[in-house]
Amino acid sequence: MNRRLRNALKGLTAPDAERRRRAMEPFVRATFDSFIRYLYRYLGNEVECEDVLEDVYADIWENPERLRNVTSERELLKTVYLYYMRKRLREVYRRINRNLHLSQQDMKNLIAPELGILEAVSQSELQDILHRVLGRLKARERRAIELWMEGMSSRAIANELKTTVGAVKMLKFRAILKLKKMMNEYCHEI
Amino acid sequence: MTDTNRKIQELLIDYAGALRDGCLPVFLKSLSRQEGQMIASSEEFWDAAEMVRTLNGVGFADKAVTADVGLFMSRVDANIASRLKKAKTSPRGKRTTSTKSTNKTQRTEKTT
Repeated sequence: MNRRLRNALKGLTAPDAERRRRAMEPFVRATFDSFIRYLYRYLGNEVECEDVLEDVYADIWENPERLRNVTSERELLKTVYLYYMRKRLREVYRRINRNLHLSQQDMKNLIAPELGILEAVSQSELQDILHRVLGRLKARERRAIELWMEGMSSRAIANELKTTVGAVKMLKFRAILKLKKMMNEYCHEI
Repeated sequence: MTDTNRKIQELLIDYAGALRDGCLPVFLKSLSRQEGQMIASSEEFWDAAEMVRTLNGVGFADKAVTADVGLFMSRVDANIASRLKKAKTSPRGKRTTSTKSTNKTQRTEKTT
């Protein structure tokens, strides 16, 4: 953990509210990038990410106890997700939940799940692993995933691969499951 | 997403698309009861959903990183200021409420 972040964390856990408020700026500057990227995984919407993160930081200011013994950036991200982000993430869609055909528990698992193996790995490590496992997929599966990540719809991918939309969906589903399996194996090795 | 008899792979791809395009509520609202049950009981769906979130984070999270953190910081500071203000004013609010309820009780007693 760099010195700037360590000092900010020290200020954050001070008992005086005004001192904690002053410590927020260096803390936000040091963590904004990693926190917002992490939230984006679950929301996929930059406006909602900023709204949630604003409340997360205010919650941290109000009740920073959980961060008192944090010693590394990975631990910080994990603690912030488990004790601050998850609660806020669940609130985002709580208002529409009563009209849904998903149980409360499934909704929670979809919006703000428990930390899986992949979710505990850092962004740079994930990028590295993903790059490696994509190379191990069949050419057609890799192409489908790459096109999807470029922002193409299933229909556009079907046109590109000269197949049907249904076949593309099945291809992507299988490719995603394969990726998950291979990434799990890599993560266990780390 | 108007099809109401989607198979599990179609549901997963629709979830992935909704997450990528930032319209998760549309996907959630599109689920029928049967599809909800199918999701709940499918281990493959939950495995793949974790991978989809990872892909979303790796592939698209750059979009969320704003250049002006200072502007965002001022929002956080305003949020903190409002919480501080609320904390200072809340005891008075409680007192007002209790006075009101006392008046109401007294009024009720008088009428009886």
